[in-house]
Amino acid sequence: MAQKKEVLRVKNLTKKYAQKEVLKDASFSVDHGEIKVLIGPSGAGKSTLLQCTNFLVIPDRGRIWLEDREILYTKKKELHEYRQKVGMIFQDFNLFDHLTALGNVEIGLVRVKKMNKQEARERAVAELERVGLRDHVAKYPAQLSGGQKQRVSIARALAMDPSVMLLDEPTSALDPELISEVLAVIRALGEEGMTMIIATHQIGFASDLASEIIFMEDGAIVEAGPPAKILSQAECARTREFCAKLTSLY
Amino acid sequence: MDELIFIEQEVLPALMRGLRVSLLLIVPSAACGLVIGFLAGALRVYGNRWIKALTSGYVIIFRGFPLVVQLFIWYFGLPHIGIYLSPYAASVIGFALCSGAYHSEYVRGAFLSIKRGQRLAAQAIGFSTFGMIMHIILPQAFRRALPGCGNELIYLIKYSSLAYMITCIELTGEGKVIASETFKYTEIFFIVGLVYLLLTSVAGFLLHRLENSLRLPGFNHYRL
Amino acid sequence: MTEYLIAIQDALPYLLRGALVTIALVLCALILGLILGVLLAVGQVYGNKAVRALVGVYVWFFRGVPLLVLLFLFYFGLFSLLEINISAFTAAVIVLGLISAAYQSQIFRAGILSLPEGQFKAARALGMSDTRAVLFVILPQALRLSIPGWSNEYSIVLKDSAVAYALGVAEVMARAHFVASRTYQHLPLYFTAGVIFLVLTYLGTKSLRLLEEKVRIPGYSR
Repeated sequence: MAQKKEVLRVKNLTKKYAQKEVLKDASFSVDHGEIKVLIGPSGAGKSTLLQCTNFLVIPDRGRIWLEDREILYTKKKELHEYRQKVGMIFQDFNLFDHLTALGNVEIGLVRVKKMNKQEARERAVAELERVGLRDHVAKYPAQLSGGQKQRVSIARALAMDPSVMLLDEPTSALDPELISEVLAVIRALGEEGMTMIIATHQIGFASDLASEIIFMEDGAIVEAGPPAKILSQAECARTREFCAKLTSLY
Repeated sequence: MDELIFIEQEVLPALMRGLRVSLLLIVPSAACGLVIGFLAGALRVYGNRWIKALTSGYVIIFRGFPLVVQLFIWYFGLPHIGIYLSPYAASVIGFALCSGAYHSEYVRGAFLSIKRGQRLAAQAIGFSTFGMIMHIILPQAFRRALPGCGNELIYLIKYSSLAYMITCIELTGEGKVIASETFKYTEIFFIVGLVYLLLTSVAGFLLHRLENSLRLPGFNHYRL
Repeated sequence: MTEYLIAIQDALPYLLRGALVTIALVLCALILGLILGVLLAVGQVYGNKAVRALVGVYVWFFRGVPLLVLLFLFYFGLFSLLEINISAFTAAVIVLGLISAAYQSQIFRAGILSLPEGQFKAARALGMSDTRAVLFVILPQALRLSIPGWSNEYSIVLKDSAVAYALGVAEVMARAHFVASRTYQHLPLYFTAGVIFLVLTYLGTKSLRLLEEKVRIPGYSR
């Protein structure tokens, strides 16, 4: 029986750059196994929200709880431990250029989790196999296609055993024919029960997978609700406007 | 026949003496120069406003003044404020600080060329700042800085000859002494030139080998 | 401190006249280096195997032997041997020029190589001889691209010119030493000499940047 356990809770995240408020009082929570999808126009603050969630960007205000424990991010050690439990996938992949695919997945295990090299290697190979890249372990990022790079980055995040994964527009930088291989991996993760927050433009995929869709605009969360409701019968006019444009595309 | 004996008994020992002094100048200067350059380059990228200003000032002065002028200041100028350096000490300090300024430019360029995303990804996995610098940033920055810094080391080998001008008698100095005694300037300095040529060529070859062994597919894209 | 300032003030006109000598020395050396450097670069890119080898040896030699050694070799050695009576200034210009040519040839070579292959093909298609193609199509572009690297070379030759002091050329450094050995004001005088070089460097690189702007081809992207 699946227990409804809250994994991540985020309250009142606010961030200001110069005079512009890019994030206004954003709050949400995610239960174990839930997949929440962030949608909204460019500049809505989806990326900022995700990057504040793992403190890559320090919010001006706001509190975050992981598994009921508040994260005191000013304590360096606690921050680094927290980040190990929150996996992040970037739009630009950000693979470490000087390491092979295997090296990329291993390094967090060896240097951050302080695993021994043999175990780390075995785990890394297993994760790469999980995303379908067994044959590419010795390749450098420059030798991989975009879709392969993103899958390596997913393997790298998974190796750290995260409680929740944040995916920041994982397919936006990919050529169309490469998108499906990455979506397949993400879908598989969802089926295995990984808790995820995904910012994406892939609305068809999102509505399939998501437990909830969150619509953002101008730094604020406008509306949140189940896919069926948000996409066709949203309460807010703005949400309806945005989704109407989307569904006509897909 | 006389010539050959002369070469053996007078010229060679003197030149070997000089070469020894040259090497004693080059090695410590190169090592110190690299350390200074690395620190200055890193501080110029990661330091706060004041540190950046200070190190930039250092680089402007030590890259702007000719090396000869710098050497003269260390050797002839410092006595004014009561510091008396030996020709050797003044030379090493001068070489180290001067080449350090040049190294820092390459180091700075290398650090700046590391894509921001590398840092973000490292942080996202939970790397501490120290771990991130050690395992992600430095391996990449080192490869980027290597061609420039390596070239600078080759320059140092050649510029070590300027120590002669503040009376530190190294290879060039010994050559000048012998040549002035025997008036065989052409021969002596041709030999001296060849020795330096050998030193720079070997250094260049080793540098090339090192660069090749560290080469990574797709990594040289941002070469300076 | 006032002692220092007085010493500097007294010596400044004399030093600045030395700066004129330095400028003359540097300009002549750079021009020699430019002409020879372009020839070497063209030879290295378009020449046959023998020419490329010769250029290679030239570049290797003049980039591997220290400036001071070459100055002594040429001034006290070769020129005496060949019984050519040459002033220290001329000897310094020649040596600095020969060395600079070696470095400049590599700058221009890179510039030429960075041009798309089609440039030469198009020139030939119009019926241009190779020489014309190089003169009127390749070089105008390659030289423009080389200005930043050349700016660096200017800065280096300027600083190297101070070594000409070893031959007795009356440039800034020599004059500073001359005054210092009489007045014993070494520190302020050498520091001033250094500042003069800094100013000359700044003026030179600034002018080159203006030149780069002036000859920029509209819409040309690197």
